[in-house]
Amino acid sequence: MRGLSDDDKLPLLSRRFPMGLRLLLVAVVSIALMMFDSSHNAMAPIRSSLSVAMQPLQVLVEAPADALAYLRRFSNRGQLIARNDALSRKVLLLQARLQRLSALEAENERIRALLESSQDRRQEVLIAGILSASANPYQHYITLDKGSLDGVYSGQVLVDANGIMGQILSVTPTNSRAILITDANHAIPVEINRTGLRTIAEGTGKSGQLHLPFLPKSADIQEDDLLVSSGLGGRYPSGYPVATVSEVAHPPGSEFLAVTATPTARLNHGEEVLLVWRQKPALRVPLGNPALATIVPLAPELDELKLPVAASDAP
Amino acid sequence: MIANKRVSGLLIFTSLALAFMLIVMPLPRWLANFWPQWYVITVLFWVLMQPLRFGICMAWCCGLIIDVLYGTPLSQHGLALATAAYLVIKLREPLWVFPHWQQTLLLLPVVLIYEFILFWIDGIIGYDMSPLRRWLPGVTGVLLWPAWAWGLERIAEIDVRS
Repeated sequence: MRGLSDDDKLPLLSRRFPMGLRLLLVAVVSIALMMFDSSHNAMAPIRSSLSVAMQPLQVLVEAPADALAYLRRFSNRGQLIARNDALSRKVLLLQARLQRLSALEAENERIRALLESSQDRRQEVLIAGILSASANPYQHYITLDKGSLDGVYSGQVLVDANGIMGQILSVTPTNSRAILITDANHAIPVEINRTGLRTIAEGTGKSGQLHLPFLPKSADIQEDDLLVSSGLGGRYPSGYPVATVSEVAHPPGSEFLAVTATPTARLNHGEEVLLVWRQKPALRVPLGNPALATIVPLAPELDELKLPVAASDAP
Repeated sequence: MIANKRVSGLLIFTSLALAFMLIVMPLPRWLANFWPQWYVITVLFWVLMQPLRFGICMAWCCGLIIDVLYGTPLSQHGLALATAAYLVIKLREPLWVFPHWQQTLLLLPVVLIYEFILFWIDGIIGYDMSPLRRWLPGVTGVLLWPAWAWGLERIAEIDVRS
């Protein structure tokens, strides 16, 4: 057989430092690291510099897919013409709608001015490309090609044309990692568009499925109800579509409904997402409201800011 | 037997880079469930074949890279890989004499312990995932061990001779 015939040449393990002790040392360091990493955000710079070092690996992996995508851009003339026609029709349609929207926006602003509230409806957005989807099948993460150099911050919301996709988890200078709403560790506050009932939609870890665990049996909810973000919690902007209810079941013996919903955003498709900058949430209280009188003395900085309070949970 | 010869660092580095690339590759979901943990068999191969150069600390560093790539808590995979490396070092003598398919039988419990540590840390930090997805990639990885180890050994032999 291989090996043991030349015993004298077999590698000796280092005797200076026994293996058991070495493992113990590594284990202690690991546990300390994990505790730091999970409880404080102290490891973020280390993690971010390590992922910058891993960048070439990512680029190398993406290279064949990128090349294929580049080749696919050469399409034939007929396709281009058809696509162009379809797009210009769509532009026309959208422009017509936009005209109406700008009138509405102007009207909205006037009414808001009347209420002396300065909430800005216009939002800043940035288009980011998806570099890769979760390397790990257990997690619904995507990596985007925009990072802190572009002003992306952790906790930022990403949407696509159809609804909310998720939020940014970690940022490196040139790219960022986002968690999708279907990840098993993710939950988003929503309200049922038809009734205004507020609840929470949790990810299930299965693609294309959310579930709503906290609805009592008496809740008014039907299939095809649209769930929109409620804006509670201050992380997601309110009013964006999140999911449509796909199934409402009444499990016997449970106090709650078993409701599943399908995200409206195309989470597993497409190559681009929109990053939305946080609106400064305004206190939606008119000045004359007596409730404000009790708030203002507690927060002196409110005096200077008049009404809007910047969200302070930005990391 | 290449365990008593010095394999070039470039070969070790290249094989590890290849293993990392194989796991960050975008895959269809059905395949992702079975996709072997290439880095585990690669790291354990070098721990077995070059224990003086590639020991517990190197395995830990590789695990740290995996944590960065996967976005898991730093050193979750590091701790698990270091433990697996320790076990392989302890089992090195039978492993050195066994042919690859018998090594597989001995490595299976090692990888299961590796998966268990990951599973355990998942439990502590409250990350729930389907158990099948946690355990299956490890098992398919070990099943590929004979072919993977054979291939790496052939390349290492060529490398040592030149």
